[in-house]
Amino acid sequence: MTRKIEKKAPGSQSILAKRFRKFRSIKRGYISFIVLVMAYGASFFLPLLVSNRALVVRHEGKTYFPAFHGFYSASEFGAEGTSSEPNYRELREQFKEEGAGNWVMMPLYHYDPLEDVTVAGNKAFEAPSWKHWLGTDDRGRDLFARMAYGFNVSLSFALLLTFINYLVGGSVGAVMGYFGGRFDLYVQRLIEIWGTMPFLYVVIIISSIITPNFLLLVFILNLFGWIGMTYYMRAEFYREKAKDYVAAAITMGVSTPKIIFKHILPNALTPIIAFFPFNMVGGISSLVALDFLGFGLPPPTPSWGQMVSVGLMNLEKWWLVTVPLAALFITLLLIVFIGEAIREAFDPKVFSRLR
Amino acid sequence: MTKYFLRRFLLLIPTFFGATLLVFVILQLAPGGPIEQAIMRMKMASMNQGEVGGGGGNGLAGQSAIPRAALEQMKKFYGFDKPIPVRYLIWLGLWPRDVDNHVVELGKPLRLPVGEVEFEGEEIRLWRWVRAVEVDGEALLQESEESGAGFYVDDSIPILPRAASVGSWRPLEGWSLIRDWRDEWPEDEEKPPAERVRKVEFAKKQMSGILTGDLGVSYVYSEPVWDVIRPRFKISLFFGCIGFVLAYLVCIPLGIFKALKHGTPFDFVTSAIVFIGYSIPGWALGAILLVLFGGGSFWDVFPLGGFRSDNWEMLTTWGKILDQAHHAVLPLIAWTIQGFAVLTVLMKNSLLENLSADYVRTAFAKGLTERRVIWVHVFRNSLIPICVGIGGLIGVFLAGSYLIEKTFNIDGFGMLGFQSALNRDYPIVMGTLVIGVFLRLFGNIISDIALAIVDPRIRFK
Repeated sequence: MTRKIEKKAPGSQSILAKRFRKFRSIKRGYISFIVLVMAYGASFFLPLLVSNRALVVRHEGKTYFPAFHGFYSASEFGAEGTSSEPNYRELREQFKEEGAGNWVMMPLYHYDPLEDVTVAGNKAFEAPSWKHWLGTDDRGRDLFARMAYGFNVSLSFALLLTFINYLVGGSVGAVMGYFGGRFDLYVQRLIEIWGTMPFLYVVIIISSIITPNFLLLVFILNLFGWIGMTYYMRAEFYREKAKDYVAAAITMGVSTPKIIFKHILPNALTPIIAFFPFNMVGGISSLVALDFLGFGLPPPTPSWGQMVSVGLMNLEKWWLVTVPLAALFITLLLIVFIGEAIREAFDPKVFSRLR
Repeated sequence: MTKYFLRRFLLLIPTFFGATLLVFVILQLAPGGPIEQAIMRMKMASMNQGEVGGGGGNGLAGQSAIPRAALEQMKKFYGFDKPIPVRYLIWLGLWPRDVDNHVVELGKPLRLPVGEVEFEGEEIRLWRWVRAVEVDGEALLQESEESGAGFYVDDSIPILPRAASVGSWRPLEGWSLIRDWRDEWPEDEEKPPAERVRKVEFAKKQMSGILTGDLGVSYVYSEPVWDVIRPRFKISLFFGCIGFVLAYLVCIPLGIFKALKHGTPFDFVTSAIVFIGYSIPGWALGAILLVLFGGGSFWDVFPLGGFRSDNWEMLTTWGKILDQAHHAVLPLIAWTIQGFAVLTVLMKNSLLENLSADYVRTAFAKGLTERRVIWVHVFRNSLIPICVGIGGLIGVFLAGSYLIEKTFNIDGFGMLGFQSALNRDYPIVMGTLVIGVFLRLFGNIISDIALAIVDPRIRFK
């Protein structure tokens, strides 16, 4: 569909393609978009970039790929009397000293987000240095590694959360707007009641029963997050329903689901696209806030909020608070730039000035 | 118009009941409630005393270690001995609540206070005997005809005679039997029926609940909920009000100047600040400010947290103000930044939109000065969307503040709600919920009223 449109002359482009062109012309937003997409894409390869597992080990003429294969016993690489995983950083130094043609190729950054003081050589509260770029936390875990993995977790969380919120909230809002009347009034009351639920209590209560994992946490936040979209979709459907093309479709005997999904929905997508980045901001913020309060992802998941709460307990170690919050800030800023550009592309208000 | 607002207020009622019922039921059904927490505490205590060995690990073993009577007592204390709908009605104040419970053996008289008389400036308590007797297999409550003081005061005040010499008994009014344990007093379960003590329990019935203004008593603080909430409410209100005024004082002029200087370097630089403000949650900014100015790593300018210094009461008036301000600077910045970006952009866009309206063209065309057009014509109209936010901000006073309060270790309303949810202090949870719901719902209505006031074109139907 889109491909066909691109071939057409610029004058007869679809409104969506026009808006996308406009979005691309807003440099700040477009560059932010590219940076964020690339960073997020790269974050899926973090085990190859930031990890304490070697990418390649060459030992006694054999080649190993621990990063892909997973666990290797240290005895495979000549260590005696141990079946635990080798410390590849030490192994590399050891092979270098031996000079016997064995070598280890490490990822770009040699520390894992989960390895703590129990691994030899790690110390708690190390200040940023060439060894630990952003220092270590109270358990000797490397902050740079945790921050990088936390980026992936936060963004995935917010994406999934916002997507489901829109799916549920958008559908409910669409149905409310389309059918209207008494149905609309009752559902509005129900939403009002549901919306007054103190969401934090529910999270506390649920997490006292079971430790929330990633998906459960998304679900809990979905329970309350879908409400926001209903208002916009409801208004959008109210407006669209009154238009002639819907009346025409009804007189032609098109089925109701078809009118809703095929006729109205494509015309009512503006709020969904325009609000998506801002709801992502909300999603990331609430995950960080929940982790900060200790009701988020189960430890030891690398999460920015948990890092902040450790930092606030150790204020004299300035990097503990600054690192995760800087990461949060930059991520949110990029998303806000994208959102602002999308909003401008979708809502091109050109103000005439009279001076 | 009046009809519209009347309807809005009427619609508050189902929403209020629906919301409180929903939360109430969830709280009551949630595992790990106050009783389980009390059991845990008892288990911990007995484990510390070494009475229960290593075996008391799981919940079931612990539960069976607690005598049934104590469990019954505890259920009664927390009101868990009744079905949930009744508990909700009691909480509302539509169902009588048992107050002043007494357990009495059949036939054994009990002295209860019935009133007070004043004697030479002192209050003398008057007593009356109360007993439960069995008549035709039914337990009945009776009280003595005579009443009197417990000791000799004066000839004018009678002394309560001894129970054995009470002349006549009459039915006890105002109290009622709530449990008949004549045959199954739980403590005696193991004893043969003949040896069992035959007891009944009675209590005064009283209608008091949220509808009569009684929020109940906190489990943790053992004080009326309102007394627990009030001082913390004041703290949150302090930050809420000042933050609110501050936000409007900064955002409205800033938004106006940004609109008037649209596209200039000033607009660009302030836009960057607005983006930064939007991209950082208030509490997160607070945390960074604490690191910078809290004296940990960099400058020691502001205190690490708290609402006031510990020695606040002893300071002079001027010292009190200074101390309060000193503690409030960082939290207030964090507080203000929350709505800062949205408000500024709203003001700017609203003014810009109005500047391109037809009436502005007309005003310029008829030769009005720019100043007059902007400040008299455009400014008033562009305040309309800002007014919509006023009601919503009432809710913001409370909601979302617990993060800032936690960051700065301020014992405010948000912290209280958070802590009481952790402690399962249900009366406080429900109390904070009721206040929160009311503020939010009222806020919405206030928004509408404000909108109707600033914009005469708006007519609600």
